[in-house]
Amino acid sequence: MNKPLMATDRRPGSASLRGKLSSPQVILQLMVLPAVLAMVIFNFMPMFGMLIAFKETDLTDGIFGGKWVGFAHFKEIFEDDRFWMAMHNTIGMSILKLVITFAAPILFALIMNEIRSNAYKKVVQTISTLPHFLSYVIVATLCLIFLDPQGIVNHVLMSLHLTKEPIEFMAEAKWFWGLGSALDLWKETGWGAIVFLAAITGVNGEVYEAARMDGAGRLRCIWHINLPAIRSTIMVMLILNIGNLFYGGSNFDQSYLLGNMFNTDRSYTLGYYTLDNGLIQMRYSFAAAADLIISTLSLTLLLLTNWVAKKINGSNIF
Amino acid sequence: MNNSFRKSREDIIVDTLVWGLSLIVLAATFYPLYFVLIQSLNDGADAAKAPIYWFPRDFSLENYQLVFKQDLLLTGLKNTLLRTIVGTTATVFVTSMAAYALQRPNLKLRKVYVSMGAISMYFSGGLIPLYLVLNKLHLLDTFWVYIVPYLFGFFNCLLFMSFFRNIPEALTESALIDGASEFKIYWKIIIPLSMPVFATVSLFVAVFHWNDYFISSFFITTESLQTLPVILIRLLSLSEAQQEIQRYIGNNTGSSVTLESMRYATLIISIAPITILYPFLQRFFVKGMLVGAIKA
Repeated sequence: MNKPLMATDRRPGSASLRGKLSSPQVILQLMVLPAVLAMVIFNFMPMFGMLIAFKETDLTDGIFGGKWVGFAHFKEIFEDDRFWMAMHNTIGMSILKLVITFAAPILFALIMNEIRSNAYKKVVQTISTLPHFLSYVIVATLCLIFLDPQGIVNHVLMSLHLTKEPIEFMAEAKWFWGLGSALDLWKETGWGAIVFLAAITGVNGEVYEAARMDGAGRLRCIWHINLPAIRSTIMVMLILNIGNLFYGGSNFDQSYLLGNMFNTDRSYTLGYYTLDNGLIQMRYSFAAAADLIISTLSLTLLLLTNWVAKKINGSNIF
Repeated sequence: MNNSFRKSREDIIVDTLVWGLSLIVLAATFYPLYFVLIQSLNDGADAAKAPIYWFPRDFSLENYQLVFKQDLLLTGLKNTLLRTIVGTTATVFVTSMAAYALQRPNLKLRKVYVSMGAISMYFSGGLIPLYLVLNKLHLLDTFWVYIVPYLFGFFNCLLFMSFFRNIPEALTESALIDGASEFKIYWKIIIPLSMPVFATVSLFVAVFHWNDYFISSFFITTESLQTLPVILIRLLSLSEAQQEIQRYIGNNTGSSVTLESMRYATLIISIAPITILYPFLQRFFVKGMLVGAIKA
């Protein structure tokens, strides 16, 4: 790879090996080399390795070996009830999360922008972004502690006479989707608001002055200045969120950490399906085929949303 | 824009709403963590008798003493720390060094590398092919599986690149004329000038390493290589935690530690580092993030 670069080196006269090795171009190439190697080995080789979806592969074959079987795995997946159950749960949970958790950061950013005390604003921002940095293991543990039949949430619900018997949040499947959305709301609202807050803060102060002169109150300022200011940010975030529907950010974490034999009808998601078949049952090719289906769907959705957004208002993320 | 006018009725309504809602968000975020803290500082047997909501009733550090006496948890803590320190240093070094070279206009094949990065950001081969690659490279079930596959991330690289671009090029050019090598410029000039973006990316990478449970759950089988989050998951499964407790109580008669109280102490230990560091790092990363967000 380095040979042709040498020919066009800045100092073609320096023929000694030492001179060549210390030429700026070689040093720059050496500086990107570890990163490029890491990408080739851990990103591009696995991408090529998706071909095992059309083979029958075991651990010793690796991504290059195995016998070709065509679409056999795909056929089996489409006939697998658990796949459709996972698909149903993934799409359901993702759409519910999109509805519930998408508006919250926007609203929260608008609220934070109206806080007049800078010190208090800082406290709110620091504390509300903190959960984003907590491991999902911790969030799941907190969830189990708080929603336990003897836990604090049931205690409060019972003392308010909202329920007679403790609610079995983890053992009844019907709660799972809502629970997943609530956890996302708790973990990501503050963090999600940062992007929007930055866009609002970028508005020139004179715009507000002018609006005030014209008699606009604070609510009208929010509606006519702040919201339009974050419109393009909202579109970009929406596209990214919809594109992520099938992988669905926290779906896997919730499915793996909070799923149990009682709520599996609603907690079994596509990410878990891949893991279950691949690393646990060791059907590598079968799981890779499932993954290929999911990523094809994701990519199609992402491109489609982007295309629609472009048609509607000219914002385009690529 | 404030205080130049008398408060109108609309102002009062907006302010009240803003205070009310922000206080609710604060309480909802803060209380669960505070709840865990007070339980962890309370005597285990006492906490089991009646719930505690506001302050520790029977203050005790025994839960923490128990946690720090357990080999399993100590190993987890040690591995998590080691992984976070080594992983963050290595990743930040490889990524920032590449970012420096990638924003130098005279780097050959620059376009190729950048498109490779962009592709790697949007597409992935998925879990299974990666697993097979790691297996072939004999990285599975070694400490290095925590570090090596995650040495370079293009998103972080973009954050570095956009920050480096704002550093006046005259600095680099004059150093080159003075005979400094590109690496020396990166090491001696660029790094000291780029602390905000280094703090930001270090925080992201460190949080990833500290929090991750996936790699240690599925790419590691040896118990002595497990990390703290996986130990936490195991504590969640009752039977195993019960055994640990029994083993401890076996040689500490009269102890009042319960399964619950030990779980709380472990939670606090894994939450503490980020909670303590975060307020200090926050001012850096808001700056570093914004530069990146504008470019990206």
